[in-house]
Amino acid sequence: MKRTVLLLLAVNAAPALAEDTRQLDAHEHGVGALNIAIDGTTVAMEFHAPGADIVGFEYAAESEADRAAVDAAVATLARPLDLFVLPAAAACSVTQASAELESEQAHDDHDHDAHKDHDDHAEHSGHEDHAEHSDHTEHAEEAGHSEFHAEYTLTCADPTALTEISFAYFDTFENARELEVQVIAGSGAQAFEVERDAPTLGLRSLF
Amino acid sequence: MILRLAIASLFARALTVGMTILAIALSVALFLAVEKVRTGAKESFADTISGTDLIVGARSGSVQLLLYSVFRIGNATNNVSWESYQDIATRPDVEWIVPISLGDSHRQFRVMGTTRAFFDHYKYRQGRSLETADGVIMEDLFDTVIGADVAATLGYSVGDPIVVAHGLASFSEHKNQPFRISGILAKTGTPVDRTVIVSMEAIEAIHVDWRSGAQIPGQITPVDVIRQMELTPKAITAALVGVESPLQTFALQRAINEYRQEPLLAVLPGVALQELWGIVGVAETALLAVSAMVVVTALIGMMATIFSSLNERRREMAIFRAMGARPTTILGLLVLEAMLMAALGALLGLALLYAGLSVAQPMIDSAFGLWLPVTAPSLQELWVILAVVGAGAIVSMVPAVRAYRMSLADGMMVKT
Repeated sequence: MKRTVLLLLAVNAAPALAEDTRQLDAHEHGVGALNIAIDGTTVAMEFHAPGADIVGFEYAAESEADRAAVDAAVATLARPLDLFVLPAAAACSVTQASAELESEQAHDDHDHDAHKDHDDHAEHSGHEDHAEHSDHTEHAEEAGHSEFHAEYTLTCADPTALTEISFAYFDTFENARELEVQVIAGSGAQAFEVERDAPTLGLRSLF
Repeated sequence: MILRLAIASLFARALTVGMTILAIALSVALFLAVEKVRTGAKESFADTISGTDLIVGARSGSVQLLLYSVFRIGNATNNVSWESYQDIATRPDVEWIVPISLGDSHRQFRVMGTTRAFFDHYKYRQGRSLETADGVIMEDLFDTVIGADVAATLGYSVGDPIVVAHGLASFSEHKNQPFRISGILAKTGTPVDRTVIVSMEAIEAIHVDWRSGAQIPGQITPVDVIRQMELTPKAITAALVGVESPLQTFALQRAINEYRQEPLLAVLPGVALQELWGIVGVAETALLAVSAMVVVTALIGMMATIFSSLNERRREMAIFRAMGARPTTILGLLVLEAMLMAALGALLGLALLYAGLSVAQPMIDSAFGLWLPVTAPSLQELWVILAVVGAGAIVSMVPAVRAYRMSLADGMMVKT
């Protein structure tokens, strides 16, 4: 917390939606979030981390190297058991995993297709019109904070054996300093902070 | 041999030793009691609300939302519109939703408007439901159910009429629509005890003649007419939500937090309670530090008694030495005596704690709503006892070393 900077991003309202609400999203470099929900043998996980933590930059990937770094990061994030190591006794396997990079603007517009025309410039990948892109590069560098999001569904043969998680995540991503972990299990919800210095989390108190 | 000697020597000085042991016992009992109250308070606090997956309110902070929606401390920054409430209620992942409407008061107690579902879904202390101690849950529009503290403080019983005041500290009352107490809830130890509960419709009903926070002069809609009106609320203060499956909780929370039409906030009650305890919890550390100092004081007291006993026992020590006891034996004897005293004191303290706990437990529960479970001594308590014995040994080293050095010469010299 001490050395990280809390940045609040203003999402610039698209002209066509001038009367629309403007929302602010918190964005803290060095700090990611991992939500874990356990129900029976199913474990659902959600992961968010600033682009700075994962690939070291948050501007739109332009060079080959940048794009390669993003692709590699997305591929790594799609293998949750390598990042968040669960006890072998729990016999967990991944049934579904997806990871993506989202810019602030795109991130707000999950189900608003109308926005795409205005906000595409902020999307980092899958962009076709590079001429338009470069027009907005300056803006993207100013405010284009990006976040990696990932969602996982695991099946664990013995969920009671989920006594701890060790975060190899910190070894993989050197810019990450802290993860805020929230766990929902039978006994309710609890929050934890896992830091680089002590990258394991005991979950015994939950069972 | 040396143990028998130590025990016999302690018996020989039964009174002073007894007092020392009592002092240690009381200090240990105090320390363990503080620890019990601390963990009990923490658990009672965390059990204020259970079974609710999300609390939804206007966007502010998670602690603030928890404070006004559950603890009825402070006020909401904004209301939640009925449309947004309906939007959330109709989502497929929402199993149940209970609206809460705050803002009016009766004497020093808050009035909360809600639905009957509140009594089905509000759980405390690991899944316990609200129960009426007397009467029934409200049936009529102008029925109210009051918490145990409200009834006890104001001396109300079932059937009494009460008038709700507009706002929190105002003199304008909803005189034209008095309520009737239909039920009194059993003591829960939660903020529900200090709440007057009415139906959501009743909150609308008493505000029929009010516009922009003031009563319209001269306009009094008869109660019969109000009963015919459609009393759909326009806004609520907060809502308690239960999800179909815990797996959907985070998705629902995010959907509410990113709800575009209105700035809303959904918090996990457990996490918010933890956050709040983090703020309140500084006091618990202070409390623990104070009781630890009491234990230290008792041990230093023991050291003082040993020191003064050394004077009385000069001859005794010298005789031991003359009979061939080595200085280390003298040292061992004194340390052993101290450890015996400390161990006896600690065990007596534990016994005192459990005796006191079993007597006071029901009283503490009914007076403070604080449930202190009588469980077998935890590993932590055994560690405390061990630590006291160890600390006893360490403080006794000081007089023991003195005796070790002086026993022979000092005792043999004729001083008197």
